[in-house]
Amino acid sequence: MITNPSFVIHPPQISSRKSTPSIHFSNFNSSQAIPIAYDSKRRCDVFDMHNELVPYAKAWTWQKSIVEERKKLVDKNEDLCDSVIILQHPSVYTLGIGSSEDHLKGIKNFYRTDRGGEVTYHGPGQLVMYPILNLRYHTMDLHWYLRALEEVVIRVLSSCFTIKAARHEGLTGVWFGDQKVAAIGVRASKWITHHGVSVNVTADLTPFDRIVPCGIQDRQVGSIKELLRQPLSFEECGKLHFTDDQLVNATYESLMKEFSEVFQVQLCMKPRPYYTENNISRLTV
Amino acid sequence: MALRMWASKSATFLKISSFSRPFATVVKDLKYADSHEWAKVEGSSATVGITDHAQDHLGDVVYVELPEVGTDVTQGNSFGAVESVKATSDINSPVSGKVVEVNEELNDSPALVNSSPYEKGWIIKVQLSNNDEVKSLMDSDSYSKFCDEEDAKH
Repeated sequence: MITNPSFVIHPPQISSRKSTPSIHFSNFNSSQAIPIAYDSKRRCDVFDMHNELVPYAKAWTWQKSIVEERKKLVDKNEDLCDSVIILQHPSVYTLGIGSSEDHLKGIKNFYRTDRGGEVTYHGPGQLVMYPILNLRYHTMDLHWYLRALEEVVIRVLSSCFTIKAARHEGLTGVWFGDQKVAAIGVRASKWITHHGVSVNVTADLTPFDRIVPCGIQDRQVGSIKELLRQPLSFEECGKLHFTDDQLVNATYESLMKEFSEVFQVQLCMKPRPYYTENNISRLTV
Repeated sequence: MALRMWASKSATFLKISSFSRPFATVVKDLKYADSHEWAKVEGSSATVGITDHAQDHLGDVVYVELPEVGTDVTQGNSFGAVESVKATSDINSPVSGKVVEVNEELNDSPALVNSSPYEKGWIIKVQLSNNDEVKSLMDSDSYSKFCDEEDAKH
């Protein structure tokens, strides 16, 4: 049911829970992220598949092909513009390069990837963003990059849903209380990033019960939808006044806006790629 | 670690180099690549690792991805990775050749890369295929200057 004819989500205010930790809202100042070589904003191509379920292997192969193309150029002190892919995955478990399989708790079907971080789950209702940035044009510091990705999601939760999320020192990701709403794991090759961040919007969270998410015991996983439902009254029966699709779309639009702000890039929408079972190729424009 | 994070945040805010120490150590007689790996050349073989500058910027290394013995490596190309704080970074080989030994100790103690980047934290040993390539690497003085210039830009 649409409550607002201008399609803007104005959910009920999230009330603070007693267990809410001290809010470390943000001291990240995006104006520090000034591109090295350009006075104007750096261009970033956007491959928008936020309403599609893209198989994990295909998305990974695609990212690697972009990274390899750019690494060759970087060796010659050239580069293309940055890219960002945003999509959903069908249900899949993935591990980072050093992840312990113990955290899989017996699950046999998973991808061992080349990103940092421990085991995680991707599935429908979770937006996954893969920025392929050349950090030489941003800040050559992986710690900065992780904080910047967190900043994007923190701003989305705040501006779009009035959810005051936070960082937890030493636990990369975006949290509300002890619930992790967004997980991060990245790889940098010659300062070109891939992998990225996953945000639970409307995803079914029960697959996370089968693993030790990110290797962190005694914490939970949350989603935007569940956070919005929690403070609703008994009469409202936890029924939100907007659909899952609306939540996903609103999150996507806010992610793009905050991403372009935090990283100071100019977004340029590109056609979605055409891919078959055997290969991925990008449409040339 | 907490001090490093405070320093990094403050530095970002103040727009200064996020280095938490005034200088990184370099070792004379080693050769250096601009991607912050070092090579100790002894005859036709070389030991390879990452520099003090690199490990300091990475933070605590929690995992090192090692190549298989027998793998070919090419100067400038990735042969493995180090992971810290949910981010993995490629390690690029400063030399070309064949991997003859890997530092298995890093499987149990990846933090050796932080605590002893030039000695116990060595990563691979390579049988060189082209000794001439070493000439394109920097010596310790050039590398120190390179690090200063790179840090000043960021």
